[in-house]
Amino acid sequence: MKQLLVLSGKGGTGKTTIASSFIKLANSKQFADCDVEAPNLHLMYKKGEMNSKSYFGLAKAIINQELCIECGLCKDHCRFNAISDQNGYHINPYKCEGCGVCGLVCPAGAIQYEKKVDGSIDLYQNNYRFSTGSLKMGSGNSGLLVTEVKKQLNNHEDNLTIIDGPPGIGCPVIASMSGVDFILVVTEPSMSGFSDMKRMIETIKKMRIKMAVCINKYDINRNLSKKIKQYLFEERISYVGELPYDDKVNDLINQGISLVESNNPVGKGIIKIYDKVKILL
Amino acid sequence: MIIVIPTKEQGEKSFVSEQLGRANYFYVYNTDKLSGEVIDNSYKNERHGAGVKTVEFLLKQNTDILITPRIGEKSLEILLETKIKIYKSNAKIVKENINDFLNDELEELY
Amino acid sequence: MQIAVLSGKGGAGKTLLAVNLANLIEGSTFLDCDVEEPNGIYYFSEYFIKEKVYSKIPVVDEKKCVNCNMCIDFCRYNALIDFIGKVKVLPSLCHSCGGCQLVCPHEAIKEKDELIGWINQTIINDHQIFGGELKIGKETGVSIIEKILQKTSDEEDSVIDCPPGNGCSVMESISGADFCLLVSEPTIFGLENLKMVYDLIKIYNKKSGIVINKAIKNNELIEAYALENNIPILGYIPFEKELALLNSKLNIVSEGKYRPYFDHILEKIRKEVLK
Repeated sequence: MKQLLVLSGKGGTGKTTIASSFIKLANSKQFADCDVEAPNLHLMYKKGEMNSKSYFGLAKAIINQELCIECGLCKDHCRFNAISDQNGYHINPYKCEGCGVCGLVCPAGAIQYEKKVDGSIDLYQNNYRFSTGSLKMGSGNSGLLVTEVKKQLNNHEDNLTIIDGPPGIGCPVIASMSGVDFILVVTEPSMSGFSDMKRMIETIKKMRIKMAVCINKYDINRNLSKKIKQYLFEERISYVGELPYDDKVNDLINQGISLVESNNPVGKGIIKIYDKVKILL
Repeated sequence: MIIVIPTKEQGEKSFVSEQLGRANYFYVYNTDKLSGEVIDNSYKNERHGAGVKTVEFLLKQNTDILITPRIGEKSLEILLETKIKIYKSNAKIVKENINDFLNDELEELY
Repeated sequence: MQIAVLSGKGGAGKTLLAVNLANLIEGSTFLDCDVEEPNGIYYFSEYFIKEKVYSKIPVVDEKKCVNCNMCIDFCRYNALIDFIGKVKVLPSLCHSCGGCQLVCPHEAIKEKDELIGWINQTIINDHQIFGGELKIGKETGVSIIEKILQKTSDEEDSVIDCPPGNGCSVMESISGADFCLLVSEPTIFGLENLKMVYDLIKIYNKKSGIVINKAIKNNELIEAYALENNIPILGYIPFEKELALLNSKLNIVSEGKYRPYFDHILEKIRKEVLK
């Protein structure tokens, strides 16, 4: 069946809140969190049997102190300032990008490269199937890990599959788009939200995937919300609704109450957006 | 003519892979010999640039036609510099995608 | 004094705090290291001088190249491919490590400058403003961040708006900071992201404190975590529509009625740094 991806460009626009509400509304039996740098969806669906696999990043350099002749060639050639020469030569694993240059120039064969665990790929199975992953700090972004998270999804699932996407517009976002039938872009009426949305729309157009946009907290700057809608109209992009700014939303989320089951105006707005998206799908 | 399709499983009865650069296998079909070959994608686990390595692979295979659901920005940029034509796959299995292409029923992607 | 402002995720209020604190510190320099979403500088001005930032990418001399493919095999980032018997460079994948040039046995590879972004700069009142901007399509802005950080010295007061997340660019941004200000929202998501950045600053052994943004009546989630880990809470910014509107219009809110919140936080930071 179909896959729906929720994206926003800028972080903090309410992407996860909308994705989790959609999971409820669609009675989705399968969903994923592709925001591997800062995953949040697991806070709501951390139940059932969990399978975790290690994710290995690019191999990084290690200096064998017994073989090192302290010539300093590695340090001279490292463009990432990842080698220090205090008490012998050492690699800073947070700065090393695994390029292989130090090993190439070392005359003593003292440098080796080892893959280390850079994160995990997790699958929760209950009466639903929830795929997620997380990157360790300093590991940078990764399209590969996002692909691994998506590979755990079943393609022959009957209900709608919902995917919470990564922030930004880089490689992980492109990786999260593969195989997706529809993208819902969540934006907010701020100058940065608007410019990020435009960048996002450009990227999605290139990938030729159906999309629609909704505005969260539309009432914090009604003028700008109007401009965003005008822009979408000119670009012929479906606009599927708006959500108000509401200070009770955070309380409800913290108490674990689903917005769409409460009497909250944001919850009601999400239901309207969902109904429109369903028709477009 | 050489047709290449990224696949999930091995062989012509597999479904088309949703990813190109990180597909598990490629199915390489030769229309003159009427025969196909399964090739493992050795770059599927690359941390960087799996897509562009796929373009390199396609060139080595003397590919004329690529059938894929979609393609990343970087790979597309390079592919457009080559003579390879890109067609959009349908939801059917590999063999039927080839048949549909030969019957002119697939849409050119770019 | 150098203050780095961080949050695990975008949208928590990192830029709000960084901009307004810089505004209150007399003569301070504002450094926007959030190169993928460079918007902190626009609170101060619309006009900037743009300084170009380059990185090195390889150029292959086709006359000297014998297609041995050693450079292609060496490159860990697949930034070089065999393109119908020619070596093709893909600048968007290149990390500028210089390895291909070193490994080439025929001296066929040289390097040239490739534009990767800009540093926008201006002076407003007594503040120097610097903001990095990554060119669209470029993978990493770490080298731009390095350049921005060189714009200030240890003697000067500065405030850094860090990138979101916990990647290498965040580590680079906080490397010289005297104090790390962690901005968090009082939600289960906010707490999760706070834990993530706190783990990161622990490695560097930096002094730190928390500001709760979009504070509600009950901020226990964050307060309990702060207490447990012995991190001081420096202040609360209220969850108010008026503040959100002013901020969305790029107003510096520490000029008007919200000033006491920021004054209070700044005073607390100064005390913590002296401790």
